[in-house]
Amino acid sequence: MKITRRQLAEAVAGSAAVALAAAQTPAPATRDFNAESRESHRANSDVLKKFDLPMSIEPAFAFKA
Amino acid sequence: MTDDIFFAGIADLNNRLRKHEFSTVELTRAFADRLEKLGPRYNALALPLTQVAVKRAKQVDDELKRERFRGPLQGIPFGAKDLLAFAGHPTTWGAKPYAGQVFDETATVLQKLDKTGSVLIGKLAMVELAGGGGYRTAAASLFGPGLNPWDRGYWSGGSSSGSGSAVAAGLVPFALGSETSGSIVTPAAFCGITGLRPTYGLVSRHGAMALSWTMDKIGPMCRSAEDCGLVLQAIAGSDTKDPASADKSFYYTPQYSRQLSDLKVGYAPSDLGWAEAGARPAFEAAMRVVRETGVQLMEVALPDFPYGVLADVIIGAEEASIFETLIASNGVNDLADESQAAGLRANLNIPATEYLKAMRIRSLVKEKFRELFADVDVLVAPARYGVAPKVTDPLDGPDLVPLPIPATPGMRRLIQAGNLAGIPALSLPCGFVGSLPVGLQLAGPAFSENTLLALGREFQNRTDWHKRRPPVS
Repeated sequence: MKITRRQLAEAVAGSAAVALAAAQTPAPATRDFNAESRESHRANSDVLKKFDLPMSIEPAFAFKA
Repeated sequence: MTDDIFFAGIADLNNRLRKHEFSTVELTRAFADRLEKLGPRYNALALPLTQVAVKRAKQVDDELKRERFRGPLQGIPFGAKDLLAFAGHPTTWGAKPYAGQVFDETATVLQKLDKTGSVLIGKLAMVELAGGGGYRTAAASLFGPGLNPWDRGYWSGGSSSGSGSAVAAGLVPFALGSETSGSIVTPAAFCGITGLRPTYGLVSRHGAMALSWTMDKIGPMCRSAEDCGLVLQAIAGSDTKDPASADKSFYYTPQYSRQLSDLKVGYAPSDLGWAEAGARPAFEAAMRVVRETGVQLMEVALPDFPYGVLADVIIGAEEASIFETLIASNGVNDLADESQAAGLRANLNIPATEYLKAMRIRSLVKEKFRELFADVDVLVAPARYGVAPKVTDPLDGPDLVPLPIPATPGMRRLIQAGNLAGIPALSLPCGFVGSLPVGLQLAGPAFSENTLLALGREFQNRTDWHKRRPPVS
């Protein structure tokens, strides 16, 4: 398993030991970037799911007339 | 002309032009020749524009002879990141699929600079598509890896790679870069120059490649905070052609800046713990200088959000829509970095609900930053927490985690957080680790550029890091 900087930073908040161990694990010889991208999306989705927002919170953009 | 010219500030150069110590044509030729000769050493040059520039310089000289003065940028050569359209000339966005692209219209910022009498002498190299899709190597560019003038074995940073290295090496007095999530601040820090990311909407993006409509900003990359103020004044302002234009102008007014002793500056003590060990003395010394300016330092913490995820999802969804045709046509396969193509393809599948969720959380981010800036006027943190990586190092590799691991995250995500909040930031050179520079970042509330520049200027009055020159030959 290879850990990205972002994953590492977020892991640090929870478990420094896990993060360190992951960081020291060698990367595989060949990489499947498509699979890595899909995995990154899954991880992002999991983070977003933790936010339960009231409907009054609107997206941070506004159209001008 | 001596080599000192190549590292002079904008006001100094303009003053000497007015005194007719040299002409705009002479100055333009000197910089253009140097850019053509040395730019390729750093893979910084995308397109020389010497002939066009000399023609324009002659017009400026005519104005100067008639004492028609336009301001401090008159007669000053500059370079522009190759994501800005210059009518009738190639604009590649740093990417092979767009190598032959030519636009009919010039970007608003280049039109504005033309009106000041400054002279565009070349387009500067960049990471392909400004890093869209996520790049993992410095070589992710049509022009090759951006090489750092302080040591060509190291990266110049991205995505405004050529802008960073060209200013650092004295190939242009200033350059334009762009930032979606770090692309001005990072190369400024790695190359030892001063870079300003303006407030979102302050500078028109019309004629610039879009990567993320809600996060893209264009800004100056210069030798000093003073020069950043002069350039920002020229390029800022309302533009009906940019839907995100904030309809605000910017006047660089250091004479009216607040007393520094009135400024509350927030910092996170754990930032030093996060910095690379070799960089800590430089950051400690820089913080001492900040303290000596008389500002009131206060400990603060960044609001707790998953900034990396928010930036990934928002930029990812927007860039996938922007480059949908490129992705569908498999043109992405011509990108230099395989991981970017994969990232762009995958981003087509970000659900609308996730994009909206990220944008809704972004509303909370903006709110929390407004609250934070009720307590402090400026945030200060390392621009990057160490020096540039080696050109051959993977950019998505594991971080070297400092030991002991700091208990709090500090401001490590200030670049992403600041870009999500749309707030300005100024990167200042603040020391060296060996031969490589490191930078300090100042961030403030929206439209606080004058405050950041005032503090930056005072920092540079007390230090000489921004005057250091790399071993260019």
